[in-house]
Amino acid sequence: MAYLEMIDIVKRYPGVLANDHIELCVERGEIHAVMGENGAGKSTLMSILYGLQSPDEGYIRFKGSTLLLQSPLDAIAHGIGMVHQAFKLFESLSVWENVVYRREPRRGIFIDGARARAQVEELARRHGLPIDPTARVANLPVGVRQRLEILKALYRDAQILILDEPTAVLTPAEVVTLFAVMKSLAAAGCTILLVTHKLNEVMAVSDRITVLRNGRVAERLVTAHTNPTEIVRAMTGQQTGPLRAKQPREPGAILLETQGLVVEQHGRRVVDDVSLEVRGGEIVGIAGVAGNGQSELIEALMGLTPVAFGVVRIAGRDLTRGSVAEHRAGGLSYIAEDRARTASAATASAADNLAMGFHRAPPLARNGLLRPAAMREWARSLIERFDIKVASTETAVGTLSGGNLQKIVTARELAHNAPVLIAEQPTRGVDVGAIAFIHGELLKERERGRGILLVSAELSELLELADRILVMYEGRIVAEFARAAADEATLGLYMAGGRRA
Amino acid sequence: MTVAAELRSQLARHLGQALPVLGAVAVGFAVCGLIALWVGLKPGLMFVELIKGAVEGPQLFETVARAVPLVGMTLAAAIPLRAGIVNLGADGQLALGGCAAAIVALYLPAPDIVRLVAALAAGMAVGAAYAALAAAGEIYAGVPLLLSTWLLTYPAKGLCGFLVRTSLRDPSTAWPSTARIAVGARLGSLIPGSPVNRGFLLVAVVAIAVIFIDRRSSIGFELKLRGLNERFARYGGVDLHRQTLGVMLASGAIAGLIGAIMVLGSQFRYTDGALTAPQYSWSGTLAALLAGGEPVGSVVAAVLFAALQTGGFAMERSVEIPRVLTMVLQSVVILFLAMRGAIWKRP
Repeated sequence: MAYLEMIDIVKRYPGVLANDHIELCVERGEIHAVMGENGAGKSTLMSILYGLQSPDEGYIRFKGSTLLLQSPLDAIAHGIGMVHQAFKLFESLSVWENVVYRREPRRGIFIDGARARAQVEELARRHGLPIDPTARVANLPVGVRQRLEILKALYRDAQILILDEPTAVLTPAEVVTLFAVMKSLAAAGCTILLVTHKLNEVMAVSDRITVLRNGRVAERLVTAHTNPTEIVRAMTGQQTGPLRAKQPREPGAILLETQGLVVEQHGRRVVDDVSLEVRGGEIVGIAGVAGNGQSELIEALMGLTPVAFGVVRIAGRDLTRGSVAEHRAGGLSYIAEDRARTASAATASAADNLAMGFHRAPPLARNGLLRPAAMREWARSLIERFDIKVASTETAVGTLSGGNLQKIVTARELAHNAPVLIAEQPTRGVDVGAIAFIHGELLKERERGRGILLVSAELSELLELADRILVMYEGRIVAEFARAAADEATLGLYMAGGRRA
Repeated sequence: MTVAAELRSQLARHLGQALPVLGAVAVGFAVCGLIALWVGLKPGLMFVELIKGAVEGPQLFETVARAVPLVGMTLAAAIPLRAGIVNLGADGQLALGGCAAAIVALYLPAPDIVRLVAALAAGMAVGAAYAALAAAGEIYAGVPLLLSTWLLTYPAKGLCGFLVRTSLRDPSTAWPSTARIAVGARLGSLIPGSPVNRGFLLVAVVAIAVIFIDRRSSIGFELKLRGLNERFARYGGVDLHRQTLGVMLASGAIAGLIGAIMVLGSQFRYTDGALTAPQYSWSGTLAALLAGGEPVGSVVAAVLFAALQTGGFAMERSVEIPRVLTMVLQSVVILFLAMRGAIWKRP
């Protein structure tokens, strides 16, 4: 009998069978990867294991006895801990306070701070998770916050640790550290469930893999006996060919240019003296850990945020102080990072979402009046061209999957035929099929001579698509590489601020 | 994706929007019926009197006459609400518009008909300008519109009150008001022998224009999408500041026009507090909220409120059931609609 078993788990949501008779078997001390595309059912399965959801059918067996989990408190009581993608920490409190919260060692009615600190220190030392117990969480880098989340779970005697997309926010160096921690925890008898969609990480750290597809187990694999191609096939159910080799191309005229760009927020320079140029027919990548000024740089380029100093020129015109409409008219289109909050209106129809920006001029409008038939036709043609799975042009886009919503956004922004495209995290959280499609479209646009500025947290994406890669750290561009000269290790070093140009 | 599928999904969407509203109205009536029972009244009699009081015989014209300013003030609230903006200053714009119309109609040295048209235009212009002042406060000084519109109500009412107590005062009346406007410069009766005046036509034209612009124009598209997601509108290139200004100009112009219509069509003078006493801007805001700023729904809600209010007055007169019950009805309906997020969207 396995250490942990999830047996015959079924979970239905209105219109969706999220988990369809799933069986998951995990042995003590193994690192078990749970993989699958978005919507495959990984999150549902893990939230059932952590007591956030109760299954409609099926049950969990742990160490030979059946668990009935009503809430995460039950899960924690049974030794199941979870580190969520978005950390759940009190920023204004110290590390030890976060760790012992609601399980404080006491002396009378008071918290025994000295003993708590000592306990946290001892725990950190024993598991090889160096951390200063008195540090304030707000001052900690992301990688250390994650370490703190793991400590919180271990302090509660977690024997099973669920890590949900743990590397999404980390630098490559922090990822290496995390993997070392995971391996040492596993060696010490802790069982780790790793939820991810990144192939290289699964190959590097896991012992076994359960692949989910459409709410069912598609494949159970032993990492040592499989390869990325086999995993992708299990995830998508189809053979995917390698991406077309990219043609080298002579870059054209400068289409987007900044000089000494500075953006200030709360008296801090979040974008600091950035000069860059994007030429026609090239993809310029911006690498960096989230929160190093990339978003603010893009917002400044679009006119969404004011520029303190410096110049933005689009197709030769100075648009430093222009409105968003002027930037768009001047030749920018923009796939925004947050497709649900910024780049679409969830309750509006597909037709309305696709018409945004085209609603003032023919063919969708004439003399300030909309032409509903033309709007529907426009939506239909884009839906067909981008193979978007949506019930009708009048369906609210909030009901679409991440990949299909991203295709709506991509379709609209590409349809502008603007000389410059800014693509910010264009494939984050979308399924493998949609990623391949969007990458293909970006490469096609490059072939057509468009200038593309690609911001991505996925180094593999940048290395695959970009002609040049700039690295941003603390608001500055600290390095620039031609693609041939770039590799993950070097980029990672600059992303972590390890070296300055 | 067939035409039939599109029709079905549209129908489902409209039904999905209408059902909670009908449900809330039904609950409102049920609650009022229970209250009536509890205090020993017959709910059946109450509802019959309410409905008779709203639509029977000449009462129908009373309802229409009340609906004219109420629909107008509802539209003044609905236009900003469509974009997710709240204009709480409609009372001030209403008073200033009415006062300006009275001044022009009384003192402009021109033929009657010119005075009438000029008075209507003046009401709109002054209402629009005053609303724009609040918008400018937000755009250039960062004062939230909610505050600036609301707070600017008091100086407006104060200024009009001051004028009719001093230079514009007609000493022959007991209450501070202007002199009576000449018959030729008034908005005449539309249906002889009823309180319905030609302001009805003006409000009808405004309502049709607002509905048309909302549904068919690029401006309406931008307004609706801002209401659904402001960040998306900004990202898509909508100039939010310019839109705020435009919305407030339109809203204030309508409020000012209603002030002018009330002065020129039924009161024939500007009397201190008389335009704001019936609280049309308040009922109008509720009606617009009920429909989430969608203009057709807003107009329907406004007409329903007008009927409830005239019905309530009549009910109070004929069977001595206090009309506060109709206010209870309105409030319960709104409360239940506000709850629909919790009740109707639960998976």
